[in-house]
Amino acid sequence: MIDFGFGLSPSSRVNLDLRDKELFSKLIETESDALKCMACGSCTASCSAGVFEETSLRSALLNLQNGNKEKALNLLSHCMFCGKCTMVCPRGINTRHLILSINKIYQAR
Amino acid sequence: MTTLLNTMYTQITPEGIIDRYPNSYNHFVLPFVIGISFIIVYLLIGLIRILYHLTAEDRKKLLVSIFTPKTAVKNIKDIFCDCLIHTKIWKRKPLLGYMHSAIAFGWFMLIVLGHIEVALFAPRHLDSIADGALYYPIFYRFFIWMSPEHETLRGSLFFFLMDFFLLYVLSGIALAMYKRVRSIALGMRHTTKPSLADRVALYCLWAIFPLRLLAEGFTADLSGGSFLTRPLNWLFKSFFGNELNFLPTWWLYSICLGLFFLAMPFSRYMHILTEPMLILMRNAGLKVRKPRKGFAEAEIYACSSCGLCLDACPMNTQKKNLKYSSVYFIRFLRRHNEKKVKEIAEKCLMCGKCYALCPVGVNSPDIRRALRETSNTKLSYDYAPMDKFSLPVEGDQKADIMYFAGCMSHLTPKIIKSVTTVLESAGKKFIFADREGGICCGRPMLLAGRTEAAKELISKNKKMIMESGCKILLLSCPICYKVFKDDYDLKDIRILHYTQYMNELIEKGELKVTKGSLSMVYHDPCELGRGCGVYEEPRNVLKAIGELKKAEKERDESICCGGSLGSLTLDNKDRGKIAESSIDNLTAENPQSIVTACPLCYRSFREKSPIPVKDFAEVVCENIKSN
Amino acid sequence: MKNNILIIGGGPAGLEASGILVKMGYNVILVEKEKQLGGHLAKWDTLFPDGLKAEDLLKAMIKKTGGVKYFTDTQVQSVNILNKSYNVILSNGITVLADAVLLATGFDLFKAEKKEEYGYGVYEGVITNADLEQYFKGNFSIKKPKAVGFVHCVGSRDEKACNPACSKVCCATAVKQACHIKEKFPQADVFCFYMDLRMFGRHYEDLYLKAQKMGIRFIRGRVSEVAETSEGRLLVKAEDTLSSKPIKVTLDTLVLMAGMRPSESGYQVGHQLNLSVEEDGFFSTKDTMLSLQKSNLEGLFFAGAATGPKTLPDTLHEARSAAMEIDNYITETFNKR
Repeated sequence: MIDFGFGLSPSSRVNLDLRDKELFSKLIETESDALKCMACGSCTASCSAGVFEETSLRSALLNLQNGNKEKALNLLSHCMFCGKCTMVCPRGINTRHLILSINKIYQAR
Repeated sequence: MTTLLNTMYTQITPEGIIDRYPNSYNHFVLPFVIGISFIIVYLLIGLIRILYHLTAEDRKKLLVSIFTPKTAVKNIKDIFCDCLIHTKIWKRKPLLGYMHSAIAFGWFMLIVLGHIEVALFAPRHLDSIADGALYYPIFYRFFIWMSPEHETLRGSLFFFLMDFFLLYVLSGIALAMYKRVRSIALGMRHTTKPSLADRVALYCLWAIFPLRLLAEGFTADLSGGSFLTRPLNWLFKSFFGNELNFLPTWWLYSICLGLFFLAMPFSRYMHILTEPMLILMRNAGLKVRKPRKGFAEAEIYACSSCGLCLDACPMNTQKKNLKYSSVYFIRFLRRHNEKKVKEIAEKCLMCGKCYALCPVGVNSPDIRRALRETSNTKLSYDYAPMDKFSLPVEGDQKADIMYFAGCMSHLTPKIIKSVTTVLESAGKKFIFADREGGICCGRPMLLAGRTEAAKELISKNKKMIMESGCKILLLSCPICYKVFKDDYDLKDIRILHYTQYMNELIEKGELKVTKGSLSMVYHDPCELGRGCGVYEEPRNVLKAIGELKKAEKERDESICCGGSLGSLTLDNKDRGKIAESSIDNLTAENPQSIVTACPLCYRSFREKSPIPVKDFAEVVCENIKSN
Repeated sequence: MKNNILIIGGGPAGLEASGILVKMGYNVILVEKEKQLGGHLAKWDTLFPDGLKAEDLLKAMIKKTGGVKYFTDTQVQSVNILNKSYNVILSNGITVLADAVLLATGFDLFKAEKKEEYGYGVYEGVITNADLEQYFKGNFSIKKPKAVGFVHCVGSRDEKACNPACSKVCCATAVKQACHIKEKFPQADVFCFYMDLRMFGRHYEDLYLKAQKMGIRFIRGRVSEVAETSEGRLLVKAEDTLSSKPIKVTLDTLVLMAGMRPSESGYQVGHQLNLSVEEDGFFSTKDTMLSLQKSNLEGLFFAGAATGPKTLPDTLHEARSAAMEIDNYITETFNKR
């Protein structure tokens, strides 16, 4: 390929081939619940922090699956751990511990 | 007799006491001396370690408290009541209390009386270690000969007291042995599995006092005795003749004592020595700062591993979850089993019942919180957006009352609606702090060990509340109430849970209620009852509006609903099982409905309860007298 | 001698099966716990996908059952298995010796007050799908709304409500009801909050298209809480998952699409016979493909929602299959040719 000395702006398309599968599988080892999400949005809708700034476990999980770690961590950084999402999750996911684990595993890198 | 007297050191005291051995020494004391020396050195090192790990501020606090007359009196009272008599166990389980006080108080009295005896009759042996100060009072009866003609009233009183307390201890030991076979007879459903060191120490403890009885029985005709040892002596003589071959029993007695002290630091019996220290530190107002060091270490070693927390723990509904009880948590902490410790720390519901019922008062929930802190507090967070805009605060901005519903109450609209209706019927104007949602109170973050994050939330809420100019902060969630009360420092603002406030309104006559016919049982939410000591106010109100029935266990023995935010890892199935057992406990007297005063309990019970579950404010609302 | 066949449940499944079995020449006894026949159908106004009047359908079905002995306001008190037949004592004192029993006990609607956060029983404006049908039938009135919302999956696909399964009919019902509301109040904003829109049957998609064309707004997100504004309207919070934004909207009426739960009275009958139920609480069939109408007991059959959520056409198909299975069973067991 010829190098023109300048790059094209990166595609906005998520390239699933290049996503970081390793960390996500590490997450699944401790949090198999992460696979149970059906993206209903209950957690985001009831989120106490979400009133102030975009906070969404649902969206964070999708971002992690797509390899967008920074976005995911941003979406969880305002979490106040109040537990409303655990109460409303129709799949019975232990959302609070899932958020803790995501922070632990992904903040480490 | 004559052969013995030949070897005697002939110095007769006015009481007729003669030292049988010139140096007051015999080889059999060695095991005991080794044991007691070991434990003293171990204890000193431990004490220095604990004091070293305390912060300078805490050390100063401790020192000041020890020399403050008020706390000093309290210290003595607590040590006497908690370590020796164990009033806490007496109150709940009298037989178990008797067992423990028989062994602890009885043994203590034997030691004290033994020392007084020596001080009175052979004072020179207490002068220095070389004179046998370490062992002489323990084996006093072996070393002396008492001329029967010289027996005084004072001497006989001590003989009687020594025999009496020995019998007292022996009765406790007999109960302890029976408890091993059938613990339920003493009111314990679950008991701990003893470790190896526990077993060694336990069997030694069982053997010490019968051996002492035998040993003193052999020597009763020489050194005196009373109603227990003298008949025994007579019995031995008629069996074994006049042969005075009693040295082996004294050896065995000493070996058991020595072994007991050697096993002590690795066994549950360490609490005998560490508990007084814990009492001093607790009365000085120290708190757990690190999960293992300093104050926490004192707590860990003060655990007597008695297993009363097994019966207290809500996890005991399923045998597989018994391992998450505090007694095992502390055992694994002592063994440095990091993996298990972490798992248990995260699983706990933090309901605080083990702490409330612990005879030693080990605050294991707080140690768990400190442990969570080590792994969770470094996680980053960003609460800057909460400053960007403030949510609309509704209601009369000049009102004295601010109602803060809290996150969870928003999922139980009935609670919010009932509270606001009650306020309106009492003619109270109020500010609704978080109708549109608000900042979390910070308690969940604290429980998860993210202390720094919690502090930031607390400061933001505090600012909002202080700026409002309110005089009463009203809460409908016990989780919020606990943190507002303990960690907020809101100056002159009264912080009230709605159960307290409604009780006040009714007592003042500002809210008029009618007595209905509904029979109810009240569930004490963990954070409200054990957490903040609010037991009477809700019951007062419920008695005024209906028939209040009793639960099998209530107040500080109330069973967690299973929905607690305290647990980070417990799954829904296990939570459901706990809710079911809590409901069984509540419905013992067949009430028509369960009443609780916490949005979480309300939700957990509603999922499982066969009878209607109502919120406290809801029943108050239903019984407001209409004009 | 005619063989006795007892049908427990006088809803669509029980009615359809009894009509056919009577024609086949059996002596059919139908037991219904309510005062009138028809089950949930009797309480419904119109049916999806084409708006057929429930009343008309029910009339036609009852007409077909001419000759059936039926007892309304009657429940099964006890059941015993005697050799090859069932000895059933009814609450009206009558004892039936039946050669075959058909359980057509159907479903109960999920009790919407159990989802506390939706405020059913707390806020006046929150009603259920069944309440709305009563309104359509003219049995009660609502204030002219400016905005109406429909919450799909209330008590369905929800582990917290102990029902992880889909109730199958709520999506289509919600869209049908939403259209109906929009027709009545063309000025009102109508929102449907759904998790996945399951419009699987013939003509269902047309219904969806019709709703879209009417301007009904479909929001992909589950409602998480309902609060009351100071004016007494409903503040509904959800996430619009397609735009990844939490949203709130003020409504006057919120309709909860309560899902299907196993019938309580049906469970009582099954319990006496030791019939096994699956984790979802519905009866388990003999297998999952070939013998859907059979139970593990000889001579005991199922039809309709007793074995899981079903649409009305599915239920009627099952009733017909069950009638055929019963006929085969009687012929093989009692009238060997």
